[in-house]
Amino acid sequence: MLLVSVAAVFVLAALTPLLVRGLGRDAGYVGAAVLAGIAVWLGASTPTVLGGEAVTAEVRWIPQVDISFTLRMDGIGLLFALIVLGIGAVVLAYAARYFGRDQRRKASRYLALLTFFAGAMLGLVLADDVVLLFVFWELTSISSFFLIGGLGEGKAGATRALLITSIGGLALFAGAILLGVEGGTTSLSALAADPSAIVASPLAPVIVVLLLLAVATKSAQLPFHFWLPGAMVAPTPVSTYLHAATMVKAGIYLLFRTTGILSEVPMWTPTLVVLGGATAVYAAFVATTQDDLKGLLAFSTVSQLGMIVLILGVGTPLAIAVAGLYTLSHALYKATLFMTVGIIDSATGTRSLAALGGLRRHLPLVALAGGLAAISMAGLLPLVGFVAKEEAFAALLHAETAWVGPVGTALAVLASFGTFAYSARYYLGTFEGPVRTPAHRAPAGFVLPAVLTGVAGLALGLVVPVLDPLVNGLARDATGTDPELHLALWHGLTLPLGLSILVVLVGSALYLQRDRVTGLLTRRPLPRGADVFDRAYDGLLALGSRVGRTSTSDATVTYLLPVLLTAVAVVGAATATIDLSDLGAPAPSLAGDGVVIVLLLGAVIAAVVARGRLAAIAALGLTGFTVAVWFVLLGAPDLALTQILIETLTVALVVVVFRRLPGRFPNAGRRRRVLGIVTAALVGTGAATATYLATGRRELSDIGGSLLAEGQDLTGGANVVNTILVDFRALDTLGEVVVLAIAALGILALVRFVPRDAVPMPHRDDPTAAIEPDFSDARFGGAGMIGSQLLRTTTAMLAPAMVVASLWLLLRGHNAVGGGFIGGLVAGAAIVLRYFSHGHADIWHARTTRTVPTVGIGVLIAVGYGLGGLGLTGAFLAGGKIPLPFVDDVAASLVFDIGVYVVVVGLVASIIRHLGQSVGPHSLPGRDDDAGDLDTRETARTGSGGLS
Amino acid sequence: MTAALIVGILAAAGTYLVLQRGIVRITLGFVLLGHAATTALLAAGGVARRDLAFVGAPGTPGDPLPQAFALTAIVISFGVTAFLLALAYRSRDTLGHDDVEAPDLEGSLLDQSASALELRIPTADEDAEPVDDAPGNREDGR
Repeated sequence: MLLVSVAAVFVLAALTPLLVRGLGRDAGYVGAAVLAGIAVWLGASTPTVLGGEAVTAEVRWIPQVDISFTLRMDGIGLLFALIVLGIGAVVLAYAARYFGRDQRRKASRYLALLTFFAGAMLGLVLADDVVLLFVFWELTSISSFFLIGGLGEGKAGATRALLITSIGGLALFAGAILLGVEGGTTSLSALAADPSAIVASPLAPVIVVLLLLAVATKSAQLPFHFWLPGAMVAPTPVSTYLHAATMVKAGIYLLFRTTGILSEVPMWTPTLVVLGGATAVYAAFVATTQDDLKGLLAFSTVSQLGMIVLILGVGTPLAIAVAGLYTLSHALYKATLFMTVGIIDSATGTRSLAALGGLRRHLPLVALAGGLAAISMAGLLPLVGFVAKEEAFAALLHAETAWVGPVGTALAVLASFGTFAYSARYYLGTFEGPVRTPAHRAPAGFVLPAVLTGVAGLALGLVVPVLDPLVNGLARDATGTDPELHLALWHGLTLPLGLSILVVLVGSALYLQRDRVTGLLTRRPLPRGADVFDRAYDGLLALGSRVGRTSTSDATVTYLLPVLLTAVAVVGAATATIDLSDLGAPAPSLAGDGVVIVLLLGAVIAAVVARGRLAAIAALGLTGFTVAVWFVLLGAPDLALTQILIETLTVALVVVVFRRLPGRFPNAGRRRRVLGIVTAALVGTGAATATYLATGRRELSDIGGSLLAEGQDLTGGANVVNTILVDFRALDTLGEVVVLAIAALGILALVRFVPRDAVPMPHRDDPTAAIEPDFSDARFGGAGMIGSQLLRTTTAMLAPAMVVASLWLLLRGHNAVGGGFIGGLVAGAAIVLRYFSHGHADIWHARTTRTVPTVGIGVLIAVGYGLGGLGLTGAFLAGGKIPLPFVDDVAASLVFDIGVYVVVVGLVASIIRHLGQSVGPHSLPGRDDDAGDLDTRETARTGSGGLS
Repeated sequence: MTAALIVGILAAAGTYLVLQRGIVRITLGFVLLGHAATTALLAAGGVARRDLAFVGAPGTPGDPLPQAFALTAIVISFGVTAFLLALAYRSRDTLGHDDVEAPDLEGSLLDQSASALELRIPTADEDAEPVDDAPGNREDGR
């Protein structure tokens, strides 16, 4: 039943545009009928629900974290569901006449969104799972944004409302998760049944604060109240439904729902009483100063919501029951009042109290509805609002916490002074007195919904005892105790009655002296919440763009300096705080180590002070080889070999690129040099300290030990480093292969496809024309060629030998020094050598060096190996053995290593192909076959055959 | 201690170079920082055990796991170095220089994309001396 109800409302929302197309604005009546039907359907189970048997419906949702799509209707859910559906039906009927006959587009949009909101709100008040409640909560915020934002007008107000309620939404989400974690379940009913775990939790105050943040933002409590008056730019049906009767009650609903769980937490009652009381008093008096009727009603709503929060803060079953009654009566009269304001606005063209008066003669029915509602709001006999206010005073007076009684009552009475005064202002200022602005007639269909809710307030007041089971059942479901409240219009001469009389007297005085009161209240204007919010919001955006700007700079100093200094600070803080006494002895240094350090110092100093590119390249190479020596000393031959090869290639590549760059480096200035030296000293010291303190002191790690002991049995390979790369941590290596492939493709894209001045591809049919003979740079012979016949001859023999050697390294890698990376680098070195001896064209026309095919095939081999493992053994990248006839079995991971090999070759080749081409900006015959490198068709192969 | 000194020296030199202006020096600095990181990774496995990390190898074999990580790191930093070199190559082609902070930021690729997004870019360091090697000077023959 519950699932069908919620789903039906959403389906109705989806169908509304179609209904509007067929029926025009009358589609609102269809929607109203459906909502009313659902209300009756749900209302039919009132006896069961109030008898203590909640209606539930459950669908499995996220069983992994024990979150289910559970809807549950108990007394609280019933009251709110009836308000949502009942007021929703009335508002849709009202909206059917609010929009003009010709405003189809507007009517379609608003009717659909209002119905969608009704579905979200219904889901919110029926959700039993707190995570589900959060989902619906956010849906109401989003629909509110679109309903306020409208068709472009009111964007600022809509944005403020969305941001404020989103902050609350996030707080609710955090609170919901903490509730689930601390309480062991996300079911609200289960939590309420046994709140002991939550109350005992040290995080209970955090949960309370988070949930109250959600409540205060959604239900417009201080200091977040300002979004609600700002939301009044929305059309009146929206204000009526969302910002008076229902959505702003979502926070109140959350309090009803959680009071049984959290009211035992000590801070609950004081916080709510202060929050609600302050909001009620403040907003009530601000409301008396408003000239715009909608503004008056908006602040009145804020004030009344504060009253409900105040009553709920008392936390006794009696107070909960009274809060339920207050919520119902407020929904009725506030909906009526908003609807009358919409009618007045359309009939007279103004909502300003200064321009209104005497409308009773023109709009008698509106005056009837508005009058009844105003009486109810002011808390006068015999309307339901009177009962609600009387009982509220009574509940406050009977508060369990000692100070809450007098303080809460005083705040409520104070707020009621203002309430009485603005109620009088609304009715007397609009309907009585001289006519200031003449009014058009309002059609009956426009007025009747307002009359309906207005009269309902009177009727309920007269037969108020019928509400006994509802409010008592609700209080029992919230707190577990039935307060046995008996509602009545007349309880005899009691203290609450005396307070009511006081309210009437003081309120009347406030009304009569309204100009003086307004002057007094507005003499020193408080900072407007919206302005404060806007300033904070703009400031936040400015801060964000300032932080972001550091990373958009071209200068490395701007964005690297903060990162480097932070790293140094972290090391410093760690060194200062950790206990250095039990570190253990550092690993001993050997005699040979000193040589490494001396070599390294020399190389590094040369690299830093070098002002010319050749010196820098030489120093770079020396540094790398020194590091390789260190790797050898540490027993890492694979690493040393890789380092040497990489260093060779890096130097070669730097040479290739450097000859296109200035011979000397740009001078950064003296201040930069000093900054660089200071930062370098700090970072160097930090890095050395961290390395000294944190590394080198331990024995073989458990993993390292077991890999050494069992690696060969598991993989068949004796080279443990290689088995780690291709077997144990093959997924890492796959990721690395992809990074290398991206670098290769990135170079291709950067050189050939960046729109401005892309370097054209050499022409494929005419190899000699493809290369600009760049003899201007004589040292390199132009076009990447060193004009040496000796080198050409040597390379012609050496390069094939290197390729053979690389394959040998690849094949033996599993058991001895070698592997895909090392093999690929050796083959890459052969390509570079060939480039220097034979020139760019030679490399360009070798099909094996083409970037996209080579890199692509390599990645495909690696991924294919992984998928093969998945298919055969069920594990991605699973190893194994390939049985071969006559010779020993081969480890399957060799296939993976071949993929690695191919990608590495592709990367080196990509660099030579695209960066090694010596071209002037306009020197090439520009043909239209730029995509040649991506083209897999047969290409003319010329030259001396390349490496394939 | 040796490992700490090596890391410190490499990190200091690399830091100095990446804070300079020319993209070539920045690339060199990046390579040195890469060496520092690799050495630190390797040091994490302990530097007391220095024999071959092979199955059945005699003596006290080094920890193979950091070695594998370091090998990966070396190759990755090579890929990134290559890409940086491509950037240097392009900036020379497009801008005529390799100075990331040259005053005429108009032409830089980053600036083009940034102005498309209407972001403001702070102007270059004001105390910077003029580039002492304008395109066309010195060794560069073109």
